[in-house]
Amino acid sequence: MAVVTHAADAVVAAPTPVSLPTPGAPGVYVHVPFCAHRCDYCDFAVTTGADALARRRSVAALPRELATVAAAGPAAVAPRGAAGVLAAPDGAADIAGWPVFGSVFVGGGTPTLLDADDLAGVVRAVATALPLAGDAEITVEANPETVIAESLATLVAAGVTRLSLGAQSFSPSVLATLGRRHDVSSVASAVTAARAAGVAQVSVDLIYGTPGERDADWHASLRQAVGLGVDHVSCYALTVEANTPFAARVRRGEVPDIDEDVQARRMATADAVLAAAGLRRYEVSNWARPGAESAHNRTYWRGGDWLALGASSHGHWQGRRWWNVRPTGRYLAAVEAGGAPVAGAEVLTAEQRRTERLLTGLRTVDGVPRAAVTPVDEAQIGALVRAGLLVDDAARLRLTPAGLPLADGIALRLLPARERC
Amino acid sequence: MTYPIERIRNFAIIAHVDHGKSTLADRMLQATKLVDARDMREQYLDRMDIERERGITIKAQAVRMPYEASDGSEYLLNLIDTPGHVDFSYEVSRAMNACEGAILLVDAAQGVQAQTVANLYVAIEAGLEVVPVLNKIDLPAARPEEVAEEVAALLGGDPADILAVSAKTGQGVPEVLERIVAHVPAPRGDVDGPPRGLVFDSVFDPYRGVITFVRIIDGILRPDTHIRLMATGFHNGIDELGVISPEPRPVDALGPGEVGYFTAAIKAVELAKVGDTVTDHVRPAPQPLPGYREPTPMVFSGLYPVDSADFPDLRDALEKLRLNDASFTFEPETSVALGFGFRCGFLGLLHMEIISERLDREFDIPLVTTAPNVAYEVHLDERTLKPNEPRVVTVSNPAELPAPNRIDHLLEPVVDAMVLCPSEYVGAVMQLCERRRGELAKMDYLSEQRVELRYTLPLGEIIFDFFDRLKSSTRGYASLDYEPAGMRRSKLVKVDILLNGEPVDAFSAIVHADKSYEYGKAMVSKLRELIPRQLFDVPIQAAIGGKIISRETVKARRKDVLAKCYGGDITRKRKLLERQKEGKKRMKSVGAVEIPQEAFVAALSVGGD
Repeated sequence: MAVVTHAADAVVAAPTPVSLPTPGAPGVYVHVPFCAHRCDYCDFAVTTGADALARRRSVAALPRELATVAAAGPAAVAPRGAAGVLAAPDGAADIAGWPVFGSVFVGGGTPTLLDADDLAGVVRAVATALPLAGDAEITVEANPETVIAESLATLVAAGVTRLSLGAQSFSPSVLATLGRRHDVSSVASAVTAARAAGVAQVSVDLIYGTPGERDADWHASLRQAVGLGVDHVSCYALTVEANTPFAARVRRGEVPDIDEDVQARRMATADAVLAAAGLRRYEVSNWARPGAESAHNRTYWRGGDWLALGASSHGHWQGRRWWNVRPTGRYLAAVEAGGAPVAGAEVLTAEQRRTERLLTGLRTVDGVPRAAVTPVDEAQIGALVRAGLLVDDAARLRLTPAGLPLADGIALRLLPARERC
Repeated sequence: MTYPIERIRNFAIIAHVDHGKSTLADRMLQATKLVDARDMREQYLDRMDIERERGITIKAQAVRMPYEASDGSEYLLNLIDTPGHVDFSYEVSRAMNACEGAILLVDAAQGVQAQTVANLYVAIEAGLEVVPVLNKIDLPAARPEEVAEEVAALLGGDPADILAVSAKTGQGVPEVLERIVAHVPAPRGDVDGPPRGLVFDSVFDPYRGVITFVRIIDGILRPDTHIRLMATGFHNGIDELGVISPEPRPVDALGPGEVGYFTAAIKAVELAKVGDTVTDHVRPAPQPLPGYREPTPMVFSGLYPVDSADFPDLRDALEKLRLNDASFTFEPETSVALGFGFRCGFLGLLHMEIISERLDREFDIPLVTTAPNVAYEVHLDERTLKPNEPRVVTVSNPAELPAPNRIDHLLEPVVDAMVLCPSEYVGAVMQLCERRRGELAKMDYLSEQRVELRYTLPLGEIIFDFFDRLKSSTRGYASLDYEPAGMRRSKLVKVDILLNGEPVDAFSAIVHADKSYEYGKAMVSKLRELIPRQLFDVPIQAAIGGKIISRETVKARRKDVLAKCYGGDITRKRKLLERQKEGKKRMKSVGAVEIPQEAFVAALSVGGD
């Protein structure tokens, strides 16, 4: 998969307490679009094939894009008329006006397809271009088969604190259905290597609900992940995305379509197994040892700000969203020509921002402040509370464990009826 | 100048749907040289979009065709094109009364159909001279000899005298015109008496007000006549007096036997109703023409806006539609489940479909239409009467049926139905009619192959899907016609539907006691298919007077969430949510349950056959 997942988060069971970045600090997302091959269910922006030249060009383009974005300052990414500078809690801001950043996430693609020195160089470039908190969470995504000990040491030396491994499953037959090429045992080796290299937190991604997967397969995958002592697990229901080989196989009837009820059962199994291992669910698809939640991903769900670099990446700053061009070639050409690789942008209306806060906030176990989403359809709240799906204290709306698997349907119900014009 | 009455011929065409009525009319327009080939278009006389799309005639039309007959004289042929459907039988009868003759047009392949026979009886009752004509004789499947025998059996006479045409090619059409001139009697009337004209149609025009179509019986209408409509009392000066030939054209007089139209700043068709008599306000006729009656709605349905904020728009739309259709009625009603809406009365199912389609097409208001039902006469138990409460009440909304312990007995409307079908399907038709509580009144063989069955059937049993079932059980060969036959006492009960424990009044139905369990069960299982899974379990129950007779559950969705929601996913998800929210506008929320519009009507196709 091109594991893109900017989401994975994991934490190595760190023996020492992890110091958390300042809550609310913005993040930086860097997209590395290369994969050894495209997995059958993947619709992410990835470039496959051994295109060494494109990789070298990317290694040069990312720091160049970073430097341009950093120099332009927050006014260039904020909506026109917005304050621009987000005052960091301690009041610190650099010359261009940037607040201190609390997280970096290098996702893909498979970032570890880059040479370790090059990848480390990208990480260092972020720290050079932007003010980064000393305790910033710096995550790199990796496929198990691409992780080797020496590379990890190089990354840790560059400041990487988290490794997010795309394990997906510990069942060989499920991996085969998904079109994954790594060996089951490579996950364990990768985790061991990460710990040895001093990566503070390790996370694994798992996928459930793959056609042909049995309850027992899923249970075993969870047990093995837990057995590796990882501090963070992301469990994703397999989604059949249009325009993937997988979707075509479903359409032709070669594999059965996704069964929502089966996926719901697997989700419940995940919660039970992971909770028993001391991993607390903090979002629909994410579990962590207390304190090892991903700061970067929480920024997404709390309506926070982040910069976006690399092909097809999406950024957000105070209600303005923008996104880079998707094809790697066009991205590289734009940066190399000294221009901005931005494909488009939108400034959200107040109503749209409330909608986004609602749909992302309800995904988290902490829920969402009422003030951030008001008005909602109050008439629905009582019924949802009575059904045991929602908790409504005066300050926040949050979903119960029964409500989390229905977060999207509940968000839809809570959206207020649009005023008629 | 009025036209010499002895050279006027007024006639209608009686035909089954698709037997070629509009095509024959088109050929007549050409044969009389009223329309040349260059200006010809199909269904020339049908003006409404719905008429052209469905190939049916809803409004009557009259066209004046001067024709030079083979005897060397010019005659005035007035073709009055009538709707053929059973829903509009009153309109058909008025149009027939405006004529002296009728062409009985029968498809030479399909033979005589029930609707044709029913309309033929109307024509005979109106004293019309009937000219039988076989159509589509150019078709390979045509069997003119057999069909001519069938027609002769109905009408008497020699099969050999029956004219044969191809309306498609025009073959035989001049002979039909000659036959009309020779056989259809000229009208009679008193040219000097006070004017009396029969209104056989009226059409609303937003610029000129109502255009009223009229056949003059006595006297003369002139452009300066101050007319009065005798049933409604409306009176005003004429704005325009004219004829359709084939486009509207003003004339300076309409005398006895002539057919034309007038406008008089009439604001709604209910002021100029079909069957009314137009006279001179200053010198009125002492008596109106016989046969006028108020349109009687037979089928009722609740119309509710999906979005309750659309209620005022729906009221405006209904008022506008009523400007050009006086035969449908509406009054506000409130449903616990659906909020504010209207109970509408229609002449029949086709009429209801036409109105709903026009609301959708012309006004674009998303609607919930409840299942159609008939009006019941409820005789209350004397002992339960409150002061001043009438003993007999009419209920056109099942939800309003009084509690069972207050009802002494119920009457339901019945119809005399006629079914014509090939003899091999008699068994299937009888089975269907008996399941619908029909009582066989009569069975006749029209020929060795064709049978006429007459049944008394509850109207409530045939309004929904009876015709479809009839067609499917006879491979499309059976045809149906019916007319109201009063009220009949029946053992009826109300079946209520509860969602989530709450009764949904819009789903209540009145059904025969013997079929109530079967109905409740079928309805519950149909609703289980139609209601999508929601965030909660939705129990569906059927109940009679508080007793639950059936129950099923729409299981709650167990998962409805995107697996990943990071960076770029958020915009995609928001847009999806916004689209879904738009989609919800097509759903009606009843309590916490979201019900798709189509459930309210589709659920009724549970028929029980």
